[in-house]
This record gives sequence, structure tokens and C-alpha cells, in this order.
Amino acid sequence: MRRARRIGTLTLLVFGPAFTVFAGIWRHASPTGLNALIQRANTGDTIVVEGTVTEGTIWIDRTITLLGGRAAVIDGGGEGDAVSITADDVVVRGFSIRGARHSNLDDMAGIKVNDCRGAVIASNTFEQCFFAIYLSGADDATVQSNTVHGSVAEPDRMANGIHLWKCARARIAGNRVHHQRDGIYLEFVTDSRILGNHTWSNERYGLHFMFSHRDSYEGNRFEGNGAGVAVMFSKEIEMIRNEFRSNLGGSAYGLLLKEINDAHIHGNMFDGNTVGMLLDGCNRASIVDNDLRGNGWAVKLFANSTATVFERNTFSGNTFDMTTNGDLVLTTLRGNYWDRYRGYDLDRDGRGDVPYRPLSIFALVAERMPYAMVLARSLMVNLLDQGERIVPTFTPAALLDGSPLMKPPHG
Amino acid sequence: MDRVVLDGLSKRYGRLWALRDVRARFAPGETVMVIGPNGSGKSTLIRCMLGLVHPTEGGISINGCEVGRDPSYRAGIGYMPQFAEFPRELTVEQLLRMMSDIRGSRSGAMDDRLISQLGMDALLDKRIGSLSGGMRQKVSAVLAFRYRPDLLVLDEPTAGLDPVSAGKLLDAAMRAKRDGATVLITSHIMEEVERLGDRVAYLEDGRLRFVLPPELILEATGERTLSQALPAYLSKKHRSHVEGL
Amino acid sequence: MWKVCKYTLLDLARNRFAIGYALLLLVTSSGLFMLEADDTKALITLSQVVLALTPLLALVFTIIWHFNQLEFTVLLAVQPLRRESILRAQYIAVSTALSGSFVLGVGLPVLAWAPGPVAWTLLLTGIGLTLVFCALGLWIAVWQRDRAKAVGIGLVTWVGLVLLYDTLLLWIMFTFSDRPIEPLIVPLAALNPIDLSRIIIMLRIDLAALLGYTGAVYERFFGSIGGAAVSATALALWMAIPFLLATRSFVRKDL
Repeated sequence: MRRARRIGTLTLLVFGPAFTVFAGIWRHASPTGLNALIQRANTGDTIVVEGTVTEGTIWIDRTITLLGGRAAVIDGGGEGDAVSITADDVVVRGFSIRGARHSNLDDMAGIKVNDCRGAVIASNTFEQCFFAIYLSGADDATVQSNTVHGSVAEPDRMANGIHLWKCARARIAGNRVHHQRDGIYLEFVTDSRILGNHTWSNERYGLHFMFSHRDSYEGNRFEGNGAGVAVMFSKEIEMIRNEFRSNLGGSAYGLLLKEINDAHIHGNMFDGNTVGMLLDGCNRASIVDNDLRGNGWAVKLFANSTATVFERNTFSGNTFDMTTNGDLVLTTLRGNYWDRYRGYDLDRDGRGDVPYRPLSIFALVAERMPYAMVLARSLMVNLLDQGERIVPTFTPAALLDGSPLMKPPHG
Repeated sequence: MDRVVLDGLSKRYGRLWALRDVRARFAPGETVMVIGPNGSGKSTLIRCMLGLVHPTEGGISINGCEVGRDPSYRAGIGYMPQFAEFPRELTVEQLLRMMSDIRGSRSGAMDDRLISQLGMDALLDKRIGSLSGGMRQKVSAVLAFRYRPDLLVLDEPTAGLDPVSAGKLLDAAMRAKRDGATVLITSHIMEEVERLGDRVAYLEDGRLRFVLPPELILEATGERTLSQALPAYLSKKHRSHVEGL
Repeated sequence: MWKVCKYTLLDLARNRFAIGYALLLLVTSSGLFMLEADDTKALITLSQVVLALTPLLALVFTIIWHFNQLEFTVLLAVQPLRRESILRAQYIAVSTALSGSFVLGVGLPVLAWAPGPVAWTLLLTGIGLTLVFCALGLWIAVWQRDRAKAVGIGLVTWVGLVLLYDTLLLWIMFTFSDRPIEPLIVPLAALNPIDLSRIIIMLRIDLAALLGYTGAVYERFFGSIGGAAVSATALALWMAIPFLLATRSFVRKDL
């Protein structure tokens, strides 16, 4: 059936009206028969699908491009995955994909990519899917401009929007995910970039790294997710110019870092989170040029973290700027802006002449007795904190910013 | 009918009895001068009548109304305190209007003669805070007379006033009496007491020793002035007269 | 009553201290907004000033004013007026005057520089505190015969509510930290009108932190319509009870 790829001039009607075959470009507009057509397609062919396809899982085992045409819908019907890709360099673009329902045994997905390279999943919309996009052992994949509409369900009936397992060099850009378990989940994913995605209202994390190294995420927006963004057991992750907003609740964080080394956290905005940033067992994290505003706790820095550097960050309107649970080792605070700083700048170099101690005694109290929060911002607590800042007795004296900025570094 | 009836009036402050079993009746058209040493209970007596102080025992009726929680009987009272204070930022005119508003319909025919007699016309648009003590006394006097009270209570009325104004004030009191008002005046000036009083009520230690016309006291002691007669009368303990009430 | 109220208010409108209070607040809040580029930070600072200053001034002003006014109050009591009406008129007048000062001094700048829910909350709680502490001041003033003593009691009341109460609360938390006292803490704090106002404002500014642990409790207690009603009722009681006590005391008092 293979036709030489001539520029769409010769058209042959092959099997009746349902199938129009171009030279290397196939058109499919029937609820069934897509799998059969794929079986006839050759490497490099393109199939344009119009209308709804309802023949269960679509199996793509060869390098083809599947393009969604007018009103293109692939409905998996709830049995298995909607689309399953097992060949290199497959492109699936422009579909509305639904019906990979919840399963306890299998990870049902809207599009599943297994053990192949260079998959491109782009501009699709997912609805009623358990997982939306599931990449397993898929290197060099691109997941771009997809929209995942999850729905509220029992937590154990929810799965991740974009899920990557054992992938290298992935590029995940411009996707929108909401109301899934995790918006984007990465496990054993290396050398990948996550750019300009927007995840919100997901049950757990907007973005979740596990055992993933040398990745970067940049310019993403995470809003109102159950627990924010988590980076765990990972190394050399770059986190740049992201926005973490309104992650509110008992164990909600803008950014949760657990057991990670050499993180670069630059130029992010943390706004209105219960905890802006939590560092638990982090080594050599560099936290620079971030804007932490209106969070409950801007930074919770656990004592098992070492060699953390905070520089040129803005702390403003937070209930607590920084708390810790023990003696901090090698933590450096340098030239940050603290809105609570009441020092002076006689030499007019833009840096206060007396150091600032961001740990407040009341924060320690609230750490021990959460209900003491009712006293926040009371005159008594203010006096207590001011006194403690002048004569540190309970808070670690070493944790101080020796050159606090007089003005926010970024306007 | 008696205008004021004091019926076994007693007032105790802690252990101290400021008034003990005071009984007296004051008629319309009479002036009663209330005198007595400092701390004798004059002020308490007046304050009881005005409803400012609540008696411990006994009662008061004014114009047949029992002095109590119902404030309406006070519509017939004009009171000039010893020291008057008014809202400092109001003008005299505003104060007069305020009082008229409070007094309501009874103020229909107001007596404003004192305003011109005391030379107050020019002061009407002045802030009260800018007035001297004497001027404030005049304002106080105007207010006391203004609503044609049938019980006029003047507490040391001439104390802060210049002699001319004091004279005019007392003239006004006499005028009110002639119009049928009962006038109660406390005073330390015996000449005043003798000249104005139809009767003199003498208080000591919270007890009302007597209420008598001044002439009777002079007659009983043979002295020529009341200031001389009073000590003589009291030392002779002419108590029999008291029972003549 | 309204006649007394009207003229008293007319007098208070030109009262130097009431005007000074408005100016003080105006300078403070405008200054804060002008010097502070970050409006949220200015609002936070301002709300702390308001929470401390408003009760103090309302208390002291009401007490001193009552004693300055006492001779005239006596004169009013000799008029055919019920004492209840006199006191009610005076309370309405003095609390209106101080609320007016507050609205001029804090309300206008706040709404000009940083309009929004925080601003409105600050404005309403400030007025609430003014009403509460005018009532408290009136009670203290009516109940005490001595001006200096009354002012002293006013100051002690203020220190107690703004500082000692919280200290006591913190002490309770530490002392009984091994017992389940958590459910008691929020209601206990809400018993103090200054704390209650602070929590109401905090719910706007520090919601993120409040949602940290006791979030659910807070949200349910204060955040909902019912919570707002509870808070408003609590403030109203703080206003009504001292006022009723003041009235009772005033009616029975020998003037």
C-alpha cells in the first residue's frame, strides 16, 4: 500500500469512502479501523484523523505521525490505554484524548510511551484519563502544549497528569495540568528540561521529582496545588524563574526539597504559600534572587541541611521569614532584603550596618506549639522578638545576614 | 398645696450621715434661704431635691410628684449650680438652643429678660470656652430662670458675680417669687439672707435645726442683725420654735 | 436623647484632642504609606499601630472627657431627662467623634493607598475597637469618682488587654503544653477584644500561616459567615456589657 511521497496530487480511493490515501499521508475518519490503518502505514507516514475513534487502545508500533484533524477524538473506552506508543520518533498531535479510566492494577494512560526514543506528544487535550501522558523508558521525548483536565475524585482514583519514569533528555514545555494527583511527575529522569508549564489545583504536587538528576525547570507556574512542588532525592536540579503561589494547607509548600544536593534556585517567586520553601536534608543549595512574599513561613530550613546559601532574596510580608529546628551548619545569608529589618545604613552602600537575625523566637514557639499562632503580630510577641534580636538567647546567634539590603534588590 | 415636701429625708455616705430625718414644707411664692456651716448638708439637701443624690431614707415630693426615676418633675425646676461648666466649644447661643431643645414644649414662653439685664446680648455668639468664670455664672443664671420654673434652686448664686449683676440676679429671683415660684437659695452672706428670705432654714450636722422667718429670730434674740442673732439664737437653744413647723 | 447627642457631638467636633487624634493618625498612616514602598508592609505596620493606639486613646479620651464634662452632665441630669438617655447620648457622641477621627486619620489614607479587603477589615475593626473602648472608658469613668484614679485604671486595663493578657495566654500554653488545650486557645484569645481584632486582621494578612496547622479551626471559626457573625457578636458584647454596666452605675450614682 505504500505510495511514494508525492506532494498530494495523486489520490486513490482504496477501500471505500472511509479511507483517503495520499502519498504517505493517510486520512482516517471512522470510529474504527485506525489500528488496521496503522498496521498498513510505513515508517514516516502521517495519518490525519478526523472525528471520534472508539476502538479501544490505539497501538502505534512504528514511526508515524498521528495528526488530529477536525474534531479528532480518541476515546479509549475505559479499557486499557487510549494510545500506546512503542516505536521511536512517533508524533501524536492535536487530539482530544479520553477514556483511560482508573485501574488498580495497570497505570492506564491517555498516551503511554514505552521504551522508545524521540516521542513527541503535542497539543493534545486530555479528559477523563487516569494518567494523561505516561512515559516509561522514553528518552529524548517532547511533551508540549498539552492540556490535561483532571477531575476531582477519591485520592486513590487519581493519577499523575504527565508522568515520566526512567527517561533522559525529555523536554516538557507549555503544558497545562489541573486536578490530577501530581501535575507533572518525574522519577529517574535525567538531563531534562521543564519549561513554561502551568499546573494548578492538583491533589498533591504541581511538579514532583524523585531520584532525578541534572534537570532544570524554568518559567513554570504552580498554583494552589495540594502540597506545592516537591523535589526529592535528586541532584543538580535547576529551578529558575518559576512562580509558586497559593499552596495553602497543613502540609502545603511552595517548594519542598528533600534530600537533594546542589540545587540552584534562582529568581523564583513564592507568593502566599503556607510554607514558601522547605529544605530538608539539602546540601549546597544556592538560593539567589528569589522573591518570597506573603507566605506563612518563607523558608523552613531544617538543621540537617548544610552549606545553604541565601543571597539577594526578598523577604516581605511573610508571617515568619525563617525557621529551623536545630543548629544550622554552614548556612550563609548574604545581602538579602528583609522587610522586618530595622537597621540603618550610615555609609550609604545600600546595606544595613547592623546584621539581621531572621529567626524569631516566636517562630520557635509556634514550631513547638502551633496553636500559639493566635498570638502572631501581637504587641507581646513583637516585643519578645525585638528583645531576642537584640540579645539572642534562644535562637542560634550564628544565623544572621551581615549585610542586609535596605531596599528590595529587584524593585 | 406645698411645692416641696421633705419627708424624713436621710442620706448616708458610708458611715457619715449627711442628712438626718429632714422634714420641711416649702410653699409657692416663698423664698427659703438655706444656711449652715460647711459640711452641714446644704449641698446634699439641694442635690436630693434635684434628683442628683438618692436619699437613703425618706422621700421628697415636688408639686405633688415623688422625686424618683421619672424625670418629668424636673421640668419645673430651675437650677443654678455654684460652679457651672458647659461644653467649651459651643457658643452661648448654641447652649441656650440645646437647653430649649431638651426642655421641649414647656419652654413656650421663655424668660429672656436676664440676658439683656446681665449684658449677655453681646456674648451670644461667643465660644463658652472663651468666657471668664463670672460670665459663665451669668450664662448659668440665664438658664436657671429662662424656663419660668416654679422651683428655683440657686446655689451660692452671687459668689462669682460682680455686685451689679448679683443685684440683678437677686431681683430676678424676687420677681420669680412674686410670680409664684418657690425660691431656694444657699448663701453665706447674712445680709442677703436677712433681706431676701421669707424663711431661713438652718442645717447643722445633717439635721434641720429650724426653718423660721428671719424677723422671728431677731425678735427672739433681740439682736439687730441676723449675723449677730444667729449665734445667740443657736446658743440659747431655742429649739421650741422648730416644732412650730 | 438625640438632642443631647447632637449638641455634644457639635462640641466634640471642635474638640482639640479629637482633632489632634485625627491628625496624629493621619500623619502616621500617610507617613507610613509615603515612606514605605511596599503597601502590604505599610498596612501590617499600620494595623499594629491601630491595634495598640486605638484602644488606648479611646479609653483615655473617654475618661478625661467624662470628667471634664461632669459639671455639665450634672446640669443635664437636673433637666427633665432620664439618666440613661444622657449617658447613651454621651456614649454615642463620644464614640462617633472618635470613630470619625479614626476614619479620617486611618480610613482615608488606607483606602487611598491600599484599597482592598485588608484595608476594609482594618477600618471596621478599628471602628469596632473604638466603640468597645469608649464603652469601657465610660464605665471606668462613671464608676470612679477620682479622675486620676480612673485614668490609672484605664491605663492598667489597656496594658492588661494589649500585653498582659497575651503574656498570660502564652504562659498557659507553655504550662499546659502537655494537655489538650488547643481547642481552648482560640476562644480564649477571642475573649480579648484586641486579640479578636488582631486575629480578624491576621486572617486577611497571614492566612497562609494560619492555614498551616490550625487552619481548619481558624477558617471555620473566623473565616466563614458564621465566624464573622461570632466575631461581630463578641465585639458587640464587649461594647454592650461595659455600656450597660456604666448605665447601671450612672443611674444609681449620686452626682
